[in-house]
Amino acid sequence: MKKYNFTFLIKSLPFGMLFLFLAACQRDNEDLSPVTFPTNPEVFIEGFSPGLNYAAFGGSVPTAFDVDTEVTYNNTSQTSMRFEVPDAGDPRGAYAGGSYFTDVPRDLSGYDALTFWAKASQPANIDVVGFGNDLGASKYLATISGLPVTTNWQKFIIPIPDPSKLTAERGMFLYSEGPENGRGYTFWIDELKFEKLGTIAHPEFAILNGEEQTETSFVGVTKNIGGLSSTYNLPSGINQTVNIAPAYFEFASSNPSIATVNESGVVTVAGGPGSAEITATVGGVTAKGALTLLSVGDFQSAPVPSRDAANVISIFSDAYANVPVNYYNGYWAPFQTTQSADFTVGGDDILHYTNFNFVGIEFSSPVINASSMTHLHVDIYIPNALPATAQFKIEVVDFGTGGTGAFTRAIPAAQSQQWISLDIPFTNFAGLSNRSNLAQIIFVDDSNNISSFFADNVYLYNNGTPPAAPTTAAPTPTHPAGGVIAVFSEAYSTIAGTDLNPNWGQATVVTQTPIQGNNTLKYAGLNYQGIQLGSPQNVSAMNFLHLDFWTANSTSLKVYIISPGPVETPFTLTVPTAGWSSIDIPLSAFAPVNLSDVIQLKFDGNGDIFLDNIYFRN
Amino acid sequence: MNATYKMAQIHMLAISMLALTFFGCAPDDFQKLDERKWQLTWSDDFNGNAGQLPDAAKWTYDIGTGQGGWGNQELQSYTDSPDNVSLDGQGNLIITARRNGNSFTSARINTKGLFTQQYGRFEARLKTPYGPGIWPAFWMLGANIETVNWPQCGEIDIMELRGQEPYIIHGTLHGPGYSGGNPITKGFALTDARFDTEFHLFAVEWSKDKIDFFVDDFLYQRIERGDAPGEWVYDQPFFMILNVAVGGNYVGFPTDGTPFPQKMTIDYVRVYESAN
Repeated sequence: MKKYNFTFLIKSLPFGMLFLFLAACQRDNEDLSPVTFPTNPEVFIEGFSPGLNYAAFGGSVPTAFDVDTEVTYNNTSQTSMRFEVPDAGDPRGAYAGGSYFTDVPRDLSGYDALTFWAKASQPANIDVVGFGNDLGASKYLATISGLPVTTNWQKFIIPIPDPSKLTAERGMFLYSEGPENGRGYTFWIDELKFEKLGTIAHPEFAILNGEEQTETSFVGVTKNIGGLSSTYNLPSGINQTVNIAPAYFEFASSNPSIATVNESGVVTVAGGPGSAEITATVGGVTAKGALTLLSVGDFQSAPVPSRDAANVISIFSDAYANVPVNYYNGYWAPFQTTQSADFTVGGDDILHYTNFNFVGIEFSSPVINASSMTHLHVDIYIPNALPATAQFKIEVVDFGTGGTGAFTRAIPAAQSQQWISLDIPFTNFAGLSNRSNLAQIIFVDDSNNISSFFADNVYLYNNGTPPAAPTTAAPTPTHPAGGVIAVFSEAYSTIAGTDLNPNWGQATVVTQTPIQGNNTLKYAGLNYQGIQLGSPQNVSAMNFLHLDFWTANSTSLKVYIISPGPVETPFTLTVPTAGWSSIDIPLSAFAPVNLSDVIQLKFDGNGDIFLDNIYFRN
Repeated sequence: MNATYKMAQIHMLAISMLALTFFGCAPDDFQKLDERKWQLTWSDDFNGNAGQLPDAAKWTYDIGTGQGGWGNQELQSYTDSPDNVSLDGQGNLIITARRNGNSFTSARINTKGLFTQQYGRFEARLKTPYGPGIWPAFWMLGANIETVNWPQCGEIDIMELRGQEPYIIHGTLHGPGYSGGNPITKGFALTDARFDTEFHLFAVEWSKDKIDFFVDDFLYQRIERGDAPGEWVYDQPFFMILNVAVGGNYVGFPTDGTPFPQKMTIDYVRVYESAN
């Protein structure tokens, strides 16, 4: 140690004096000699440097690394490091990768770069090279992505972000490389060592990829500061970006009562309402990028769902077991801007979509048969004040024959910053013809003014009360057309000139409505209702009157056929129905009506009735 | 600031001696120069408000793309816009090269018609830009260039740097029979530092029989009248030029990895005549 100091002094007197002075100042605090570690800069020159070990990464080819005695850099050494990258599908492992580490830490604080020479059997980009992996916490990990190597030896430089941190480093080198276009190849590295170059300049550091971000948040929310990098200008005049671990940064909060940040870059919102800006420095240099947290105070949870789990198919909720979901954000290129910043607060998982334009949730493995479900539920929360009424569109996509259904909900500006519970009947999703293979839910900012939102409790449910209208079309008739005289049906040609709503003084409101694209006759508020056939019909060769009928609320329903006189006979139908009821009434039940001269039909009773496929058949 | 700089100079001296060995050309007593007395004849300390153009009484502009990229296939278009040349309000002039897609703007200022001098000491303290394809220079041309053309007018390059080698500068003479790719030139390299991270002082001392080239008052090249392979054309007044070129024969194209904008920061330019 003394000898080292002496040499140092001779070399650089002014700086050495400074050094002594500082050392003297610090002595008071440290009576015990600080542990010092070897400063050996060599990693691999002529084979492994003293104390160096190698471990292959899990899943890699264990034998990918070997010492080569034939191919060496510039023939200046007898050996080099050779790496054999496997073909895709190699049973020994999917890639080549491993770490070189020492048992005794080294003091690398006197160097500013890890340098080496490299070449390859073909031009390639090595996925990851770097240092700082000690097979433990790897606190000071620093890596370069996509290192471009060619078939010629070239020197590469990995700048050390803040050498003063590396006083006890064990991770000397690491690499990881998979096949190039499915094929393996070989690359070599030689003269691997730490150096004090002095020609690495203009350091810039970044958190959050250098972006200034703002987020509305709540007490208890935690979030990782990501996008950490350092960029140095190399002696070649070009910039090199190094991805670096949080430990190189000193993070700071402008207002710790609102948000704190720890040495790992984990931000915790501690109070509110109020704001705090999270920034960072490396060795006194301010990093680009900052996170401004706007805390609105205690987190306001979405209403806890209370529906019976038996009537629910859950996609995202802590209240139910969720079905398998492929993803909650498909990052659909190229037009989607929406990012995810999901968070957990008080054990409650919340979806958080930022920079929102549209985003899809997919659950296609397997798809959901939602035929028995009546509603989609989702709770949303728009954390930023809305400048105007927003149009929040939800699309549901059936991967079978159901197509895509869309529903848009207007959200007044005053409803931002509070939970909005949406319960949307599937019948309100225009364009969705069935939902037996449901696979996607898509949220769309149709007004282009919802910058971000939270979502929770995304589930489908059956509300347990009968629907007011059929959700499926009446069964398609199968009787041969030759044996049918049809009054109302899309499956057959019907009697020309028939009046479905003759004015007999009734109160019933008659409409025709499409259900899954099938035209259906609806009687709302039935008291009685007639049908005037376009011409008298001889149905004596027929055996049955066929009807499909559906009602959730009727307690009395009769059907009549009428011949001149009038001669009419009722037939009582069983109501309410469980879904569509199909009945073939023997025409003998209508005696004494003259079956060779039928002129009208009539219904009476109460409630709302849906009818389809009214025809005589044999 | 001043004190710090002096320390840096001491530090530089040690490095320079290393460099000397590296380039291996001179005896140890090469630095033992005759004692000189210099009388200041012209200077610009670039004091003024941020965003101002340099003093119009001292500097004029070369504008545009010149002929054939100023004779060197340079890519930039020179302007007299404060975006490309202006004071920083802290006593420096900044010449900024900017990229706009595939085109570049920068600035080139000179003292032609405003100040010329024959013989003396010409110096600039500056910090260079950097990056592949960036070509900063502090240099001089013979004031008779309009009548005798280049290279008959003579050219003295006090400092040129290729941005892909931000640790090497070159001092060069171009004259008849030794110009373009075949000048009298010499490089000076820092072994563990760069010219773009701190200020350095670049100078020539020019007399009837020789021109000495200095970095931080370290003499790294002496060219004597008899050294020129052609006519010695340095017996007439010269004017000074400061510029940052982009691309061109000397430096090559900028690459996708060249950081922009690039700035040359000039603390001062001073000219002296011998008072001996």
